[in-house]
Order: sequence, then structure tokens, then C-alpha cells
Amino acid sequence: MSRPGEGGVLNGRTLLRAVCTAGSGALEYTHAYISAYTADHFRGAVAQRLSVGAYELLSNALNFGSVSSDIVIELIESDNMVGVRVSNDAIAARISMLTEHLLKLKTNAEQTFLEELRRSVTGGIPRPMLGLARVSHEVGLTLDLHVQERRVSVTAQCRR
Amino acid sequence: MSQFSTVQVPKTETIAIQVTAPNQVKLAGTITQKDPANDLAGFFKALHTAALADKLAEVRADVSGLTFVNSSAIRLFVDWATWVKNERGHRYTLRFVTSRNVTWQKTSFMALMSLAKEVLALEHVT
Repeated sequence: MSRPGEGGVLNGRTLLRAVCTAGSGALEYTHAYISAYTADHFRGAVAQRLSVGAYELLSNALNFGSVSSDIVIELIESDNMVGVRVSNDAIAARISMLTEHLLKLKTNAEQTFLEELRRSVTGGIPRPMLGLARVSHEVGLTLDLHVQERRVSVTAQCRR
Repeated sequence: MSQFSTVQVPKTETIAIQVTAPNQVKLAGTITQKDPANDLAGFFKALHTAALADKLAEVRADVSGLTFVNSSAIRLFVDWATWVKNERGHRYTLRFVTSRNVTWQKTSFMALMSLAKEVLALEHVT
């Protein structure tokens, strides 16, 4: 995880921007659309990685974000990088939990992935957070967090 | 008669499922529904129970055609491996057939192996 100004922020052209509200099928249909777009515009491995990133970031926003605000998902590219960014409002406790989890992932993504997988078996409290661990470890996207008041933006990016 | 091959296959929109005697189940497509356990947990449990009843030495779960799954679906595979691992009587080997070309499969199943290596086997296809 890196914060703005630490060199990890993806700035570039927005290829796609969708506003998503919580509701039946919101996750599945938005993800299907983004996956189709990435499959069309990027080479196979990059498209697969972005597809996992888009799903898990959106799923987190829908599960942990405030239902009263819109969730925005964007696909962004720069000369060398491409990424998916999901922005949503969240309460302070959720933001704190997310920050802590991202720091764990930055420290040791593989270990965190295994821990979350184990917690999936035993059923942990708070509930297992396998999604971001997948994004970081399984598909190797770099996660970047930006927080402004209650608005949270998480970007998952990789080389094109 | 094989109980394994008579397990009822759930009808799902995005997954094609095929059970073949004596010990193979093949899944292809994508798993994106929020709670895939509704469709698949009972099915996997029925396969597990049937495999024990048939005293199978191995079950082949071919997931190489699953191009995308969400983390809830990964938990279902973890659950299946855990059922086998926790079995006190007859146990079978749960062999996952995975694709080298599908990114999510490489890491997830390697991690799963580390949790239940005594009952799992991995086979890679291109």
C-alpha cells in the first residue's frame, strides 16, 4: 500500500468509469462488463488480473462501504501501468480496518493470504478478508489507498 | 452402482458442471454470484459423501475451465479439502486439475495444498 505522494499513485487516462449502487446483480453485471472490456483491450494475463482486482475491490465496497453513497469504479491507464480504482464512502472504523489490512498485505502478502484462507475454514471474527489478499498475492496487483474524509479510493495496478 | 455419478448437478447460469463415473467432476465457466454456496456447497458435500460411500481412492475435480471465481467460491474448495482432511475413516485423495493459463488457479491451489497437503493432489494442464 502506498499513499498519495509516495510514488505509488496511478495517474493517467480514465478508460472507463461506472457508477454502481448496491442492489441485486450490481456486482455481477458491473464485473462482467469490466471483464469484457479488459479482455478486449489488454493482453490475456493483464486482463485476468484486472478482472480479479475489479471484482474484489467492488465486492469490498459493496460489503463494507456506506450504502447511502455511490460506488465509482474506474479503469485507468498511464504509459506503463494500468489499474482499477474503486471509490466509496465508509465509516471511520471500516477505514481503519482497511488501512490495517493493507499494511499487513504490504508487509507479507503471501502470509496474509494464507492466514485469510485459514480463517475461511475456521470462520473468523471479523470475517475473513480474502478478497484483497487475492488481489495482492494471487494476481500480484499493487494496492494503493487514498482517504479523504469519509471517501476511500483503493487502486489495484500492474504493468501493462 | 456408483453413487458418485448419480449426484444431482445444480443448475447454474454461469457454470457448466459435468459428473462422470467413477470419480470425475468437471466445472467450467465463471463463479461470480455473491453467495455461490447456495448452489455449490450442497453439491460438493454430496460428491464428498458419495465418494466415501463408493470408497473411492481419488476424486478428480477438473476446474481448469473455471476462468474466474470470487473469494467465496475459493472458500468452497477450502471447505471440500477440509472435509476430506477431517475424515477419520476412509479418505480419498482430492485431485484438482488446474490450468497454467488461468492466473487465479496457480496461487490459490498452491496455497490450498499447504493447508491440506495430505489429502490433496494437483495436476496442471495447459
